[in-house]
Amino acid sequence: MSNEAVVHAHGAVTTHEGHGDHHHEHHHHETFITKYVFSQDHKMIAKQFLITGMVWAVLGGLMSVLFRLQLGYPDATFPWLEDILGKWAKGGRITPEAYYALVTTHGTVLVFFVLTAGLSGTFANFLIPLQVGARDMASPFMNMLSYWFFFAASIVMLSSMFVETGPFSGGWTAYPPLSALGDASPGSKIGMDMWLISMALFVVSSLLGGLNYIATVLNMRTKGMSMTRMPLTIWALFFTAVLGVLSFPVLFSGFILLIFDRNFGTSFYLSDIFINGVGALPNEGGSAILYQHLFWFLGHPEVYIILLPAMGMVSEILSVNSRKPIFGYMAMIGSLFAIAILAFLVWAHHMFVTGLNPFLGSIFVLLTLLIAVPSAIKVFNWLTTLWRGNIRFTPGMMFAIGFVSLFISGGLTGIWLGNSALDIHLHDTYFVIAHFHIVMGVASMFGMFAGIYHWFPKMYGRYLNNTMGYIHFWVTIAGAYLIFWPMHYEGLAGMPRRYYDYSIWESFKQFAELNRFISTVAMIVFAVQLLFLFNFFYSIFKGRKVTTLNPWGATTLEWTTPIKPGHGNWVGEIPEVHRWAYDYGKDGKEFIAQTTPVGADESHH
Amino acid sequence: MSHSVGHEETHGGGTSEIKKVTIILSVLTIIELALGFWMIGMENKGLILAIKGAIIILMLAKAFYIVGYFMHLKHEIKNLIMTIVVPLALFIWFIIAFLADGNSFRNLRNTYDPYFKEQSTIKVEKKEHGSHGAAAGAHADSTHKSEGAVENKH
Amino acid sequence: MATTTTATTTKLWGGGKSPFNVEYGKLMMWYFLMSDAFTFGAFLISYGTIRFSTNGWPDPNEVFKSFPFAPEGVNAPLVFVSIMTFILIISSVTMVLAVHAGHNMDKKGVVKNLIWTIIGGLAFLGCQAWEWTHLHHEGAWWGSNPFLNADGTASSTNFTNYFFTITGFHGFHVFSGVIINIVMLIMTLMDKFEQRGHYLMIEKAGLYWHFVDLVWVFVFTCFYLV
Repeated sequence: MSNEAVVHAHGAVTTHEGHGDHHHEHHHHETFITKYVFSQDHKMIAKQFLITGMVWAVLGGLMSVLFRLQLGYPDATFPWLEDILGKWAKGGRITPEAYYALVTTHGTVLVFFVLTAGLSGTFANFLIPLQVGARDMASPFMNMLSYWFFFAASIVMLSSMFVETGPFSGGWTAYPPLSALGDASPGSKIGMDMWLISMALFVVSSLLGGLNYIATVLNMRTKGMSMTRMPLTIWALFFTAVLGVLSFPVLFSGFILLIFDRNFGTSFYLSDIFINGVGALPNEGGSAILYQHLFWFLGHPEVYIILLPAMGMVSEILSVNSRKPIFGYMAMIGSLFAIAILAFLVWAHHMFVTGLNPFLGSIFVLLTLLIAVPSAIKVFNWLTTLWRGNIRFTPGMMFAIGFVSLFISGGLTGIWLGNSALDIHLHDTYFVIAHFHIVMGVASMFGMFAGIYHWFPKMYGRYLNNTMGYIHFWVTIAGAYLIFWPMHYEGLAGMPRRYYDYSIWESFKQFAELNRFISTVAMIVFAVQLLFLFNFFYSIFKGRKVTTLNPWGATTLEWTTPIKPGHGNWVGEIPEVHRWAYDYGKDGKEFIAQTTPVGADESHH
Repeated sequence: MSHSVGHEETHGGGTSEIKKVTIILSVLTIIELALGFWMIGMENKGLILAIKGAIIILMLAKAFYIVGYFMHLKHEIKNLIMTIVVPLALFIWFIIAFLADGNSFRNLRNTYDPYFKEQSTIKVEKKEHGSHGAAAGAHADSTHKSEGAVENKH
Repeated sequence: MATTTTATTTKLWGGGKSPFNVEYGKLMMWYFLMSDAFTFGAFLISYGTIRFSTNGWPDPNEVFKSFPFAPEGVNAPLVFVSIMTFILIISSVTMVLAVHAGHNMDKKGVVKNLIWTIIGGLAFLGCQAWEWTHLHHEGAWWGSNPFLNADGTASSTNFTNYFFTITGFHGFHVFSGVIINIVMLIMTLMDKFEQRGHYLMIEKAGLYWHFVDLVWVFVFTCFYLV
């Protein structure tokens, strides 16, 4: 809408020349405000996204610890809980309302704020200009706005936790009528309004960011950086941005209709509703399934918005640390593309039991199972990249390998759930929780950790501590499997998700011990994430200094910049690119940087 | 630089093209309106459906002329055209799946929800003009109390 | 996405310049409009879904049959809305002419055509305001629908709900388009574009304005015709 006002028209079609000369070195005066707060430098914006994302990850993780406490110890009371949560934990036990609020906010925060903004916000901002060879994003100003819209969304979401009726508590998917009727539950009152405002701001943020990423990748590549010479990180981040730009608006429309249903007496999603104590509602003619369609039209691409950046970074890190070219580069791009397309066609597999037409459902089954093909291509390519590699087990590499493991484990159960016949039994059970936490939640977190360990030297000019990194990795991967593997069995036994207390159900009493075990592991894993946080902030100031330009011996452009690049990234000319990003172990050389011209006697790859 | 070189060569058209497209758009709109008038009071369900189909085709034709000529897409480089037109293909499945499931939902309710079915067969007296909010339709008989709730909400 | 297969595409996609020969601002505007197309698409498809899941629906020719200053009870279906449609088409034409004048560095032509476009936009908004007021007087609003289905059965409120939401959202776009055009007009008058040496901003504003017209083509068809 008001985009036009903020888009600066640089006349030249060849973008670098018109852009570059006032950036050569960061000689323009920078105050604290323009350097650290309202920064237009993509690297600083990336760090802002990362650290905000980390704050949310801690909050979201802490929420999961709290509700795991309830699930693991349903009969116990913890007086300290009342001290920190007040009336939400009367008598030291989390109330049902608080439990649902925690579950809902945990989901919303981790899916959108951590794994969307924190992951693609960080690495798209950081890596796209550095790896395609641009001085900054296409529009640094819009890029800055993107972060501040995210910040505003964060503030609103955070505030919603402190209102009297509590934050929204109807599940992160916000299905009506729980989300549409203020009378439905305490959390459906002002908490839900704030949730919607926050999410609307988030959509704006993601749109501003996404448009920038796309325009930068297409238009701002340096000389010689053809599309097929780009590192796979850039391809993945590019498709992520495309997914976001095309699917978030649909969610936005769904939210507008929801706002009308809440506040203006419409009935887009409401029909035949009777509320205890209120009576029959006049709203008729709407369809709650419509909301689910609109939500999942975003919601499924959202899964890939979360996953693709992790896939891209893992591809890069595996190749660099195996000292081998990525196996099947074009197949990797093709499978990313196929996943991006299929992401838009399969949304209703989240809705098999809503009353969706079964014939339509069968088409969705077919399309869903098709995703297994590009996913398998990617997995085998990662494995063959590792095969006979000269592997360096850096912490970043460990997390990248962990990602592959988790993606396989979680992806396989996706094949079960994609079948509507099986889904009738498994939907809304712990099986689903296990599936999506492994394949989307933990796997993407692993991709994010891999990225942080790998590019931390570029971000701060120092290394993260390796010992703490290895402890972080081994506890997290073991913990992830110990938490989520048993949940498959609980789910197969029919244990539904989102219940407050399973000990009162005869059929689920048998899982009391298991639930306690899961909760204990969850707390240990959470504690280890705090160790990572310590490592992160300690290393920013006290970590071992990076002394060479290219510590990992990588081919890509970001390692040709100074150790701590200023705004504008390269001193002098932007380097020209002569080859693809994966010339490792070629012609007896360990690696050949993208900037090295092709020699006369060089072999073809 | 005077103005970018790229735009000179991809210019295309000119005022004559603008005139031509204006006339085409006007004619298409007039045909649409004529079809619309023709449909008024028509009883033949099949013919109505055919006319509606024709109107939708005309709508797409108008969209083509606006995007192609007014928005200049036709004169852009083929790759740009592709990056814009190809993602729009997502609308095909988007529309089919949503409408098919909407239709299925109606069939479900007609089959299993006798109240829904009944409401769509009972004819209602036309309400006087200006009876604001009072005629909110289907719930006329059962929920008089909650009528007030609708009023209060806005 | 087609990548390097032939010699010409290699040159285009080789980096160091835009593969589409457009500056990034225009590219972003195009992709923003794509995104917005999905917003409107989602609205219209939701409307279609609800219509498909409902047995009856009001006849637009019964609902939209009045005309300003005409006596109460006049039966003039489609007349007023066709005027609105033509206003928007003509304003789109003047916008193309403004862009065209910008290409030729013809400041006077840009100013003249921008003013006509702004007038067209305001006229459209005026028409919409009248129509909304009229319908509101008849008792139509979000959450209340005085009209019956075409077959004489009671209608749900979703007919008016969608009508006001979607035409309102479109009207909001027209409004912001008018604001953008006014900003463009002021910038032209201040010789901003003469100094820059090009009128590319007008082109981007033009894209937005045509998109608004484009959306109306769909809204008009979905609500008034079919």
